[in-house]
Amino acid sequence: MASDTTVELPATSWRPGWTRPRLSPWMVSWLQVGPLATVLIVLFALPTLTFFAASFFDYDRVGIYPDFLLDNYRELLTSPTTWRIYLSSMRFALIVWAITLFLGFNLAHFLVFHIRSNTTRMALFLLCAIPFWTSGIIRTIAWIPFLGRNGVFNTVLLDLGLINRPLDILLFSDLSVVITYVHLYTLLMMGPIANSLAKIDRALIEASRDAGATRWQIMRHVILPLSRTGIALGSILVFTQVLGDYFVVKRMSGGQSASVVSALSTEIQAMQYPPASASAVLLVLFVGLLVAGMMRVVDIRRELVS
Amino acid sequence: MDPRFDVELVGVTKRYGPGKPAVDDISLRIPKASYCCLLGPSGCGKTSTLRMVAGHETITSGDVLINGSNVTGLPPIKRGTAMMFQNYALFPHLSCADNVAFSLRMRGVGKAERTRTALEFLGLVHMEAYASRLPAQLSGGQQQRVALARALVSRPKVLLLDEPLSALDPFLRVKVREELKRLQRELGISFIHVTHSQDEAMALADMMVVMQDGHIRQAGSPREVFSNPATSFIARFIGGHNVLPREAGLIAVRADRCRLTDAGAGLPAQVEAVEYQGGQVRIVVTTVNGENASVLLPDAEYDADPVEAGMHKHLTWAPEDERRLAA
Amino acid sequence: MEYREPRPYTFYLLAGLMGLFLLFLYGPMLVIYVLSFQGPNGGVTFPMVGFSTKWFGDILKPGQIANIPASFGRSMLLSSVVTILTVVISIAAGLGFRRRFPGAALLFYLAIASLVMPSLLVGFGIGLGFTLLGLPQGLFTSALGAQLTWTLPFGLLTMFAVIARFNRSYEEAAADLGASPWQRLRYVTLPLLLPGILGVAVGAFTLSYDEYARTTLTIGSYNTLPLELYALISSDSTPTLFAIGTVTTAVSFILITIVLVAIMRLQRSRRMTA
Repeated sequence: MASDTTVELPATSWRPGWTRPRLSPWMVSWLQVGPLATVLIVLFALPTLTFFAASFFDYDRVGIYPDFLLDNYRELLTSPTTWRIYLSSMRFALIVWAITLFLGFNLAHFLVFHIRSNTTRMALFLLCAIPFWTSGIIRTIAWIPFLGRNGVFNTVLLDLGLINRPLDILLFSDLSVVITYVHLYTLLMMGPIANSLAKIDRALIEASRDAGATRWQIMRHVILPLSRTGIALGSILVFTQVLGDYFVVKRMSGGQSASVVSALSTEIQAMQYPPASASAVLLVLFVGLLVAGMMRVVDIRRELVS
Repeated sequence: MDPRFDVELVGVTKRYGPGKPAVDDISLRIPKASYCCLLGPSGCGKTSTLRMVAGHETITSGDVLINGSNVTGLPPIKRGTAMMFQNYALFPHLSCADNVAFSLRMRGVGKAERTRTALEFLGLVHMEAYASRLPAQLSGGQQQRVALARALVSRPKVLLLDEPLSALDPFLRVKVREELKRLQRELGISFIHVTHSQDEAMALADMMVVMQDGHIRQAGSPREVFSNPATSFIARFIGGHNVLPREAGLIAVRADRCRLTDAGAGLPAQVEAVEYQGGQVRIVVTTVNGENASVLLPDAEYDADPVEAGMHKHLTWAPEDERRLAA
Repeated sequence: MEYREPRPYTFYLLAGLMGLFLLFLYGPMLVIYVLSFQGPNGGVTFPMVGFSTKWFGDILKPGQIANIPASFGRSMLLSSVVTILTVVISIAAGLGFRRRFPGAALLFYLAIASLVMPSLLVGFGIGLGFTLLGLPQGLFTSALGAQLTWTLPFGLLTMFAVIARFNRSYEEAAADLGASPWQRLRYVTLPLLLPGILGVAVGAFTLSYDEYARTTLTIGSYNTLPLELYALISSDSTPTLFAIGTVTTAVSFILITIVLVAIMRLQRSRRMTA
């Protein structure tokens, strides 16, 4: 080693006392996340366990009785209504997912890659986002006067001479349900995808162009893979919103279809808590499996926290 | 108690996890009012060392003494040090004056007095005119001066600088370098300056500390280190040296003490390239044993006997210019 | 003349798509705005029978089915409390997640689960829990809690994004200059995070204000505005609904614009150099 190797410790070699009580770093973190953890455990985890437990209870017209029965589940899983509703919900979910993915991806791509000025980009994004902050109920019922027999859409088409009679299928049909879902949830797909796209290093695209890739090849080999996380996130949000929907299907399908959750709410209103709990648990498992599947595509924690 | 040194490191080690420590049992004594440069490649532990002196990193084992008192474990403010960060870290939401007055405000000094003091220190770095501006409105060099003023307000005994010149363009770097040296002389305190540029370190330092892999390889004045590098690493890192193997071991010779001759004694070598460097010309050669070496000639001397790539010459030097290397 | 680089054909295609999408988004909304000025004898669909502001006036009169002003007041109060709590808890949690600590992953996934779980189920769980425990439901107990399970994950994720952009050297510099942890928080960290915090606040407020599914099973006897609206829709459809929609949208718009302008102003003056 170097010149100053021999060092005698000064006579007063002591470690001065700590000036304030030191908590280990992770204890400070615990204190900071404490309120969040408390709220989530008491108001989310425990209630979920509550209806999980209640799903095994017995019940009659008078009340509910703690027990451990599988009857609720047996009735639930053997009833054809259950399967019909789930199938119908999944059908809606898949259709809506496909449409919002197409729209969300293209619009996000437009905003991130085609718009050059930051102000324009922000302004357009805000325009797309502002309706999101109006109540979902109001946005849903807004479609009724729009799609109805005397509604704007039919009136315009009639005036333009494109049709002879008003289109009936527009309202209170599967089509109106899908339209409403797309209206409500496209932003949920657009946001995360735009976020992912913005993170792509432009140098990668230039390097690909340099190597001779066409625009479509770049899209397929560079942009799409790198936006996987945004697509996965958006998909999770859209699927869970559609499957968990209470209001839209009820209003917009005119009673022809029911959603899983609206069927559940009927049982809740009839105070039949144990079978409602069983339905709830089934839905949670179903949604949970879907989300877990989609999370295999992307490590959410790394994406959102880093 | 008679503190003979401004800063002392005694067996200081820093571990971030299992495996090699980032700083491995180093000891150092920095004399009063000296400009000390910690020099080394990235990952050598120089910044960790600086931050341990500052109190922004905990010390795994060892002690740090400032002015003779053991400050190990004390928070930064109680050590008598102040740090200038690499990115300046000027608070973007405060004006320059408020930035400089920050430490006074934390101590509870009244508004009138701290404004006065802040302006005084801004004057020291010739930035009084910008007192009410926000940092984002200043250039890089101006921000650095404000950061300097802010660090000096607490009247530190030691000023710690973390690569202060890296973000500046080359011309500004030289100018600011002079100002830093002047300031250190005027203030009469010690500066510890971390850098990876040997030019910077040699120009500024009273004491140059070359680090590698968490160890101090050599500490001394720039002249001493340049004339007598201890290891091949130092010789290569400092630059301007040829490291050549001999039967007895490795030696280093200064490139400007080497010459190329046509015949006779010396190592046969082939000229690879000729680089013009202004007042000097650098000739890169490959010796017959396959080593790279270079020769630095004043341009007049080169012009008297120019060489070209491909020529065969002999690399010579005076034996008293050889330095034995430890490793 | 400024040289503008030519645009690929896809630009025009996508711009067209964006235009159509915006029409699609705002079309129904415009219908609501127009219909809220429906004549006194008109119904909830076209055609417009005259033009009046009757329905706006009706909002203020407590009707047999719905009491708008009262529920509006309740909504504002609840949402304000939810916002304050969300902001404080999200800031604390966001700062806590900067370090690794045992249980961090678990807590994170719990927050995501709370976000993703169908809202009605969350409300159901809380309502059921209260019923089984024999506790009465209330605005500031069960409803507040239910809404927090919705706003907190959003707040947390926003804080993550904001804190990720925050350079810790500012806090180190503050420590170097003698600030205690509380002083650091107050004079450096929070002021610099303020734009993001405002974003959390406005997000929490709008999320809470419009929240329906989690609140409906936990609200107790007195409704918030969205629940009152739902009662109106189910029973008696008059253009009052649309008038409410117009007013609500206008209020949201104004609120968000104010906050956004504030955020942009703050960000400009705090342009971080690090």
